[in-house]
Amino acid sequence: MTAAAPPAEAVEASAESAPRSGLRPWLSRHPLAAYALRRFGLYLIELWGALTVAFFFFRMIPGDPIQTLIQTLQQNYVYNQQASAEVIARYQHEFGLDGNIFTQYLKYMNNLILHGDLGPSLINYPTPAQNVILHSLPWTIGLLGISAVLAWGLGIIVGAVAGWRRGKAGSAIITNLSIALSHVPFFFVALILVYVFAYSLGMLPARSAYDSNISPGFSPAFIGSVLKYGLLPGLSIVVIGAFGWILSTRMLMVPVLGEDYLTYAEAKGLKPWRILTRYALRNCYLPQVTAFGISLGFIFNGNVLVEQLFNYPGLGTTLVTAIQQLDFNTILGVTDMAIFSVLTAVLLLDLLLPLLDPRVKYWK
Amino acid sequence: MSDTEPSKDTVLEVNGLEVTYSTNRGDVRAVDGLDLSVRRGEILGIAGESGSGKSTLAVALLRLLKPPGRVTAGSVVFRPAGQSPVDLLKIHGEQLRVLRWSALSYLPQGSMNSLNPVMRIQDQFRDVILEHAPERKEALSELIPRLLGQVGLEPRVARMYPHELSGGMKQRVLMAICVALEPDLVIADEPTTALDVTIQRVILQSLADLRRDFGVTLMVISHDMGVHAQLVDRVAVMYEGRLVEVGDVHQVFKDPQHSYTRQLIDSIPKLGRRAS
Repeated sequence: MTAAAPPAEAVEASAESAPRSGLRPWLSRHPLAAYALRRFGLYLIELWGALTVAFFFFRMIPGDPIQTLIQTLQQNYVYNQQASAEVIARYQHEFGLDGNIFTQYLKYMNNLILHGDLGPSLINYPTPAQNVILHSLPWTIGLLGISAVLAWGLGIIVGAVAGWRRGKAGSAIITNLSIALSHVPFFFVALILVYVFAYSLGMLPARSAYDSNISPGFSPAFIGSVLKYGLLPGLSIVVIGAFGWILSTRMLMVPVLGEDYLTYAEAKGLKPWRILTRYALRNCYLPQVTAFGISLGFIFNGNVLVEQLFNYPGLGTTLVTAIQQLDFNTILGVTDMAIFSVLTAVLLLDLLLPLLDPRVKYWK
Repeated sequence: MSDTEPSKDTVLEVNGLEVTYSTNRGDVRAVDGLDLSVRRGEILGIAGESGSGKSTLAVALLRLLKPPGRVTAGSVVFRPAGQSPVDLLKIHGEQLRVLRWSALSYLPQGSMNSLNPVMRIQDQFRDVILEHAPERKEALSELIPRLLGQVGLEPRVARMYPHELSGGMKQRVLMAICVALEPDLVIADEPTTALDVTIQRVILQSLADLRRDFGVTLMVISHDMGVHAQLVDRVAVMYEGRLVEVGDVHQVFKDPQHSYTRQLIDSIPKLGRRAS
């Protein structure tokens, strides 16, 4: 500090009434920012905790992945002698299995956080596990992500109307249909769809993600093929998912319809559609926003069957193959992905909720 | 016009109104053959104990009656200014919807959840004004603070949400909304119930001011005889779904004709007298 600095500061301080610089006073004046910061800190702790638990959990799986790898190599005549201790040690180092479990943990977390490196995949050695995952991730996000959003949106709209018109014949049919179908497993619906559209009618393909005769790329033919191949698996998810959302939205809607502010809105002579959207739905859809964020986690583990059934090259298929072959780096990587996406989705929702509902308090 | 002269100062004419609730133990008649007329510009009080049918009368007149309640007989002739008279019980859908608020408005009890919890106060003014008087869109920014000022609220209340207001403030917001379109008739259902007595007094004063400033006709439903004594011009006393007495409020208080009215008046607590 030079000698000239203190007077300048004094002038500044007297110009404004009482503002003190620094993070703490600023945060006390911006409760939303303080909340966001605190919530983000919590997110980092949750992320670290969940990744740590996942790491130690998967290290407890019995079996020796290196032996499995060497057996595989031997079967493929790449390596037809007994593995020497040196070779085993080299592989162990490469897969991050040398040293005690805590050095392994530190090395794993270091590689994951600083380099985004999950270690090599066992079955696709030496391709790193993150490349294996990133290769299948777009398919999963494309198929399951879009289907989940469609199912949610459709379920909210139909469920809201079904709740609004409760007591009418159409509403009763939809409600009972939803009760019956919302707990039918995905694969069962998928099998029926495959039987009708692929087997009986021959209209749609039932396997793979695109026509193998078309080379992948951003060509209209390829995109058209992807859409066509995604239709059946997507439809099976949308159909069942939407029925669940219809049922829960209707359930949330009915008590809101008895609220005084709906009577008041009717007395105001507002148009019925406006009462439905701005008064009824606006007051009951928040739990559905939260539920949707949580359901995103099931994209990574709940729809393995759909991908298996349609031989879709997504994350579910990758996970099943990895488990069968004890490809622990890939299994852990997929788990880490699921942890990351669920926690991030819940973080975003928590930050979003105060904006959607003025009654949600984000300060202490 | 000469033949409408006698009815010109009558806003609402209720003839032989019957409202029935179906229950599993048979029908219950909540309003039973009620005749009543409301004069333009007056404040008419409806008094009676709980279960006397006064609230049922209010929701039936507002056409907000929900099953299992239903109107089983009678007519309600409503004469909005500059419009031909309608039977409120016979109109439906759009015809009823356009009449609401611009001609027939409602002031609920402030302690109820009548304000939408996720909408700012200004938006709850805005939606009803734009619905019935879209030409006032430009004037809204001036109109809403003026209406709030009329009931003694600051303009900043417009930016607030219902959960940020006290019970008395909510009641005043509801009062400001109910006169926003200068309706012919406001039906107020227990406007002072669940408020403490000092706020009750302010609310009653504001209601009297609204009549003075807007020339609004008010029908005030209250179990509290004190409210009627302070506010209304005429009072109608209901007992078991029937009107037992209608008359000038001073006349009724001075010389009640019906024994039930006398009991109601005697039930007003007085200082220096033990409750019996």
